[in-house]
Amino acid sequence: MSASETATETVSESEKKIHGVTAEFTSVDTLLAACRRVRDAGYTKTDAFAPFAVHGIDKALGIKPTVLPWIALIGGVTGVTVALCMQIWMNAIDYPYIISGKPFISLPAFIPVAFELTILLASFGAFFGMWALNGLPRFSNPMFTNPRFDRVTDDTFFLFVDSKDERFDQAGVERLFADCGGEHIDTVVEDDSPTKVPSFLIVAWLVSVALSIIPLLIVAKMRVTNSSSPRFHIFFDMDFSPARDAQQTTSIFADNRAARPDIPGTVARGQVQDLSFTTGIEKLSSNAPKPSEHLVAFMQESDDSKTTGGAAQKSVMDTTVWLDKNPRKVDASLLERGQQQFGIYCSVCHGMNGGGNGLVNQRAQKLSQSTWIQPSSLHQETLYSDKYPDGKLFSTITNGIRKMPGYAGQIKAKDRWAIVAYVRALQQSQNASIDLVPQAKRASLEKEKAGVEKRLKEEAEEAQKKAGESKKDSPKPA
Amino acid sequence: MSEHAPVVVKPADHEAFKLPASLSALGLPLCIGGAIALFVGLGLGYSSVSAKFGMSAYLTAFMYCFTIVMGSLFFVLIQHLSRAGWSVVVRRVAELMMMMIVPLAVLFLPILATLFTGEGVLYRWDSSTFWADAHIADEVVANKTGYLSQGFFAIRAVFYFAVWCFLAYYFFKKSTDQDETGEKAATDQMQWWSGPAVMAFSGTLSFAAFDWVMSLSPMWFSTMFGVYIFAGSILSAHCAIAAGTYLLQSKGALKDEVTVEHYHDLGKLIFGFVFFWTYISFSQFMLIWYGNIPEETEWFFVRQQETWVTVAFVLIGLHWLLPFLGTMSIHVRRKPFLVFCWACYILVMHYFDVYWMIMPEAYSGIHGDAYATAGGAIGVVSSLLCVVGMAALLVGVILKLATQTKVAAIRDPRFRESMAFENI
Repeated sequence: MSASETATETVSESEKKIHGVTAEFTSVDTLLAACRRVRDAGYTKTDAFAPFAVHGIDKALGIKPTVLPWIALIGGVTGVTVALCMQIWMNAIDYPYIISGKPFISLPAFIPVAFELTILLASFGAFFGMWALNGLPRFSNPMFTNPRFDRVTDDTFFLFVDSKDERFDQAGVERLFADCGGEHIDTVVEDDSPTKVPSFLIVAWLVSVALSIIPLLIVAKMRVTNSSSPRFHIFFDMDFSPARDAQQTTSIFADNRAARPDIPGTVARGQVQDLSFTTGIEKLSSNAPKPSEHLVAFMQESDDSKTTGGAAQKSVMDTTVWLDKNPRKVDASLLERGQQQFGIYCSVCHGMNGGGNGLVNQRAQKLSQSTWIQPSSLHQETLYSDKYPDGKLFSTITNGIRKMPGYAGQIKAKDRWAIVAYVRALQQSQNASIDLVPQAKRASLEKEKAGVEKRLKEEAEEAQKKAGESKKDSPKPA
Repeated sequence: MSEHAPVVVKPADHEAFKLPASLSALGLPLCIGGAIALFVGLGLGYSSVSAKFGMSAYLTAFMYCFTIVMGSLFFVLIQHLSRAGWSVVVRRVAELMMMMIVPLAVLFLPILATLFTGEGVLYRWDSSTFWADAHIADEVVANKTGYLSQGFFAIRAVFYFAVWCFLAYYFFKKSTDQDETGEKAATDQMQWWSGPAVMAFSGTLSFAAFDWVMSLSPMWFSTMFGVYIFAGSILSAHCAIAAGTYLLQSKGALKDEVTVEHYHDLGKLIFGFVFFWTYISFSQFMLIWYGNIPEETEWFFVRQQETWVTVAFVLIGLHWLLPFLGTMSIHVRRKPFLVFCWACYILVMHYFDVYWMIMPEAYSGIHGDAYATAGGAIGVVSSLLCVVGMAALLVGVILKLATQTKVAAIRDPRFRESMAFENI
């Protein structure tokens, strides 16, 4: 400044606002020493500038620990929460979609995104938090008015005391700096360079805004107009997947089938199941053939039954040792599932109560179809579990009987067992005594029973009364 | 702190750089007690549970100590590679620990011996009938047995130990010689060699992890496994360095040299490596879980049965979440005692990690015994005796070694810089 101190400037100098006082230091050690002196003198609105990070300067200047870590932590916690909520909402609530056979809410699959978003928002918190704490972005700083300040990026250290400091006293600060060995002690004055944005920047900005609209306009035009040229495929194999669909042909295999049949003698992964579970037939003994042999034998048997007709099937039925007990654990949820599946697949013929008078039967009766065979009532004694074991009932659902088709293709084995359990419950319901009802629930049942009896009685009386009235009334018009 | 008082480097023969007498007196008792405990633990597992169990417990103890020692070696290498100044005052602790690779080479002999005595005592592939029993295709067997054969396995193990012993000895000798001579050239040489040394280290450690741990499940493979071992290794090494330094200070050594700043840095690295371990182990898990291919899921499937799934959740909650939250704060890291506590805690959790890695193979096996818990109370006692015994034995050897050297690299050119180091 001493160089620029001319007669003309001394007038304007006194009018300029003074921001503070700065001093130069030539080494880290003198800077740190000066920092401690300034701190001990009680100044708080201070700042130090160095070409590189100086460890220990926070303490030397008496700067309080920053709250930045907390901002970063809040950012990180927000990130992990947003990421998990977003993925759960997207994949499990708004648009439930099975990906790779994983559950809708599949935490391991969500963790990479949660991790990345945690890092991103924590970094944003640290970066923009640092901006906010430092009052950035700031395009001009009064420090820049001092041409010597450029050397702070090179080899010089600066210390600055702000005039807003409560204890600020220009002469005192200057004296303190001089005591500490500071050189070129200067006042920092208002930056009087023009604040107007240069016009070429405005022009450049307007031009770039105008140019950036062009792609949007092209997109908008294409959305409302037709074109005769074919669509442009950026990722051809994504628009036209080379994967074949079911029933399509391919030239890769000699038989031209795209859907590959199972290799003979193999069972696909996950398809091996307990045979008694899928057939309803009990294993004969512990030294029975291996499951695979058993399966092959069973398949051959069912193939035979197809070719030779019902006779073979009957012989299988008769000689088979059926499972006596439902292999699934019978509880309320299984019965509910069974009720639901029964309602979907069985009730149309067998009726909701299993009595054999479903909607299809009613319609057939109405049309007087001569070929129609009445569906069995499930409440015949011959179908009770002592005469018709669970395994046999299961097998009937699986393979069909008489006019009834097999449901193996439509209902999963475990659901067929649920239906078996439900049918048993239906049968039980027709022969149940009050002793089977838990003590606690009997009262409500009795109450319900009394209510129904009362209602029936009232209805009967009303009907009687009506009948009596119509009898009384009938002579009148006659 | 040191802001007003300039850094004073004490003379080389000062008490602060000698192993405190209370610690050096522990050396011999620890060696003897450790050896006895190790022997009893191995014998108990070997005879009361099964040969395979005993050897697996021994391998677990071995891998626990081995990972810490290898992490220390890496710590020393990386300090030279990055020409770090801050760590000079604590580097000798790591240097003493890395020298334990020499006794570990001897302690590896029982593991090597299992290959030449009996069929599949420890490693399932070490059995002439394994491949046929597991119905593995001939082509695969031919490819696998080329690598997993007794002779080649032994040759590789000898090679690994030769490399590590050489590296450890070279860096230890240079550094301790510098205590006497104070020549700066030793630092330059160590810095120059640290680059090739890190490369040799990473290659050998990865393959050692494949050989010694991954091959317990011979049909399973994960290219990430070496990094997984390394992650636990570098984490536990930082913990051991922090804990060892704290113990030295509590007995009176390095009182003024190691400051809160060094604990702060070690704490930061522990915090970072806690997450690094989690990141690596989760990455390994997630790829396999997502692909869901039976050949690859086998390893995790076994570790999700019965007790092992509990251990897996313990690892998630107590090896990652708790220390991650616990070491996050600057206020924890700047309290040496808390850093010491967390370091000890993570060293315990590291044992869970190694146990979970190795012990399920002692029972499981698609074609082996049924899944079982940790061999009952006897199994637990035997495993703990093995690891406590081996660790005590090695600590005893470290203390013996430390009596012959200084406990800090006092004439390292960056010693003064390290003492004056400040974080903030």
